[in-house]
Amino acid sequence: MNIMANLVEIKEHKDIARTKPIEVSPDPKTAIVLTYQHTGAVNKPLVSVGDIVAMGQKIADSKERVSAPVHSPISGKVVKIGDIYNSCYSECSEAIWIENDGKKTKDKTLTPISESELKNTANDVLLKRIREAGIIGLGGAGFPTSIKLAVPADKPIKTLIVNAAEGEPYDTADERLMIERTENLVRGVRVIRKLLGNPKVIVATKVSKVEAVPKLQAAFGKEPDTEVVAKHLTYQQGDASVLQKAILKYEAPPGKRSYEMGTIVQNVATINAIANAVFEGEPLISRVTTLNGDIAEPKNLQVKIGTPISEILAQNKVDTSDIRQVVIGGVMMGNALPTIEAPVTKRTSSIIVFSKSKYKPDQPTTACIHCSNCIQSCPVRLHPIMIYNAIMKGDFAKAEKLWVKDCIACGTCSYVCPSKLPLSGIICASRH
Amino acid sequence: MSNESNELVVKSAPHITGTMSKTRLMQYTFAALIAITIITAILWWPVMCPTSAQVSTLHLKNVWALPLGSLVLINALIAIGVAVGIDVLFNKLVSDSEKNYWSSAVFGLIVTLSFSLGIPAMAQATDVMPIDTLTAPTAFIYVALIALIGQVVFKKVGGIGGRKYVNPAAAAKFLVLLPFIGSIFLTADHYAAFTSGGLGVPSLAGPIGGGTLAINGNGLGSFLGYLQSCFANPNATTYPSLSSLMILEKFHGWTGGASSIAVIIVGISLFVLARKYMKWRVTLAYFASIAVMSLVFSMVYADSDLMTRLLFEVFIGSSIFLGFFMATDPATTPFTGAGQIIFGIGLGILTILIQTYMNFFGGSLLALLIMNLTVPLLDRVGIHKPFGR
Repeated sequence: MNIMANLVEIKEHKDIARTKPIEVSPDPKTAIVLTYQHTGAVNKPLVSVGDIVAMGQKIADSKERVSAPVHSPISGKVVKIGDIYNSCYSECSEAIWIENDGKKTKDKTLTPISESELKNTANDVLLKRIREAGIIGLGGAGFPTSIKLAVPADKPIKTLIVNAAEGEPYDTADERLMIERTENLVRGVRVIRKLLGNPKVIVATKVSKVEAVPKLQAAFGKEPDTEVVAKHLTYQQGDASVLQKAILKYEAPPGKRSYEMGTIVQNVATINAIANAVFEGEPLISRVTTLNGDIAEPKNLQVKIGTPISEILAQNKVDTSDIRQVVIGGVMMGNALPTIEAPVTKRTSSIIVFSKSKYKPDQPTTACIHCSNCIQSCPVRLHPIMIYNAIMKGDFAKAEKLWVKDCIACGTCSYVCPSKLPLSGIICASRH
Repeated sequence: MSNESNELVVKSAPHITGTMSKTRLMQYTFAALIAITIITAILWWPVMCPTSAQVSTLHLKNVWALPLGSLVLINALIAIGVAVGIDVLFNKLVSDSEKNYWSSAVFGLIVTLSFSLGIPAMAQATDVMPIDTLTAPTAFIYVALIALIGQVVFKKVGGIGGRKYVNPAAAAKFLVLLPFIGSIFLTADHYAAFTSGGLGVPSLAGPIGGGTLAINGNGLGSFLGYLQSCFANPNATTYPSLSSLMILEKFHGWTGGASSIAVIIVGISLFVLARKYMKWRVTLAYFASIAVMSLVFSMVYADSDLMTRLLFEVFIGSSIFLGFFMATDPATTPFTGAGQIIFGIGLGILTILIQTYMNFFGGSLLALLIMNLTVPLLDRVGIHKPFGR
């Protein structure tokens, strides 16, 4: 029943940031590259302390299938291998410290493939390129893209949905890519279409992206079998499965790989990275991230992966003594950093700073009043309060019966709760 | 600056929350209830309680003659004062007790608005009806008692187990008025004619009609005539039409039901204002089931017109106010949409059955308490499958 899925409007907070062109940030003095940034098997370093590395050189990888390598974002010397806070997992994990030598020596392992060559390039070659470039889902999931796009021949893909919704409040990095790198996105989509056997393409975006929509329409309008759909979409519809329903009107069963239903949803930031890897021979060593929140000048920055957050804040004149909270990867689903020394990862879609001076104390957490709004508001129709109650009683069997594993961690239940219960936090924590 | 003050706040996502809080929800509800209180006070101000005619015919003693509207305001002050006062006291005694003054104030107004006031014209012919509680100062004592018992027993003590099982205002009112159970359930006195010392209430378990005369030997005056003498302005020389009484303005019964149209407008406004936080499904299902049941009974008993029973069952103060503001109390109603609809339907059916066969007008109160107890069961109903399953 479709009426059951009520979608809650959440204020976008994007007015200023969405108008700010992407600025290229200076390279870090010391890059701290986490070896494990994707979802899947853990990487092992390929370099040792004292090694000299080139910009774009692969420095950690795994032999397991579901993995993606990481590369040095700068040229320089490996000075340390140790643990640091990893915002992808909210815990410390292994990282490689590289001291910048300022030479920008480039690694030339990945050779550019020209657009005219694309037609005659085997899919295996393209998938290998995507893997070797370290590309993972940049929308937040972090799943290795080469695995996602390696669709079995007996599962034809009918539709490719380009996720241009960017649901997270404050985040505008994807929106700026749509405005400034439109042609790059078009050629990235061409690569994916080739890999998937030329499915129909639907670019799904929001009407509120007033500058991006006409650019997308102009650029994708010339492409075959491609449609730009600009709709009013809520925050929750930025999730791949919820977006798929908004566009194609069907619900993908949870737990099934998306290709089994004949649809692939791909985020614009990932498509941008694919285009860079294939046509420029550039591994994933930088990304666009939004710096927003309680700061004077919200910005969209192209930053090197491995740049310490503290360096970005200093460069953009954010008063660190007034910082109360720094949230990485979206205020609804992201993680709050325990330290600003943590580095940018492939999944750092935004850096949202909340200050002490503008902080308004939250309402205290109180007992549930049974308003049942969390149940009415869950975009995947779970019963958050019932799951929460079961978990608090330690009854995990009941939580499982209530499909706790289907939670998409969107945070809407906590957002609407008038008693300010940490519904989403407890439910997500219980799944580990 | 110390090290500690530079520590970043780390907590689970989401890192922003919606603007609706429990306090704000209670403030919205309070505003709605205060609106109804004021509307009732204004509508009822021109009528004295008791009227001078009632004082002489009923030989009333120790009763304060006050404008009926002032009784509403005094009751509200008493009930809010008692409820909030106890809350303050609890917070002084129990340090970890949750501060919930707005919730207490809302409870106080619910007590006020679910309390019956006003001596109906028909009572002038008899002394069977317990008139004291409808007038000052006895009404004040009862309201204070209901607020006290409701706050202590059903809100504070009842809430210790983590969940309130019955609507505190309804439970307290029922408990306090239990001594009058004889005259509430009163079948014998109800049916007896005025002349033999009864109230002359026509039974709903038989044909009722819109005519002025008794129907089919039901005997004791038509139901229409009874309702008119029950709800009309006691000063009026001619009775207005039943629909205008039931929908626009009644002068006897639940304070909160004095003007059905006011309750409907204010209630719907609150539902719209606090959209998903209000259990409007209960209200919708409740009135739909009352309407259907009334029409069915009307046909079963071959009423001479369909409207009288319908107007009575839907718009009696105990239905209209309870349906919007008590049956939707979040704590004592089910979680799921389907559970809420079943709750509303059950409440409607029980209300009609109690009013028809127990002749307990205002039976929605008992129906609500019974339905409240089914909530733990109803919470297991209507667990819908998630997305894509």
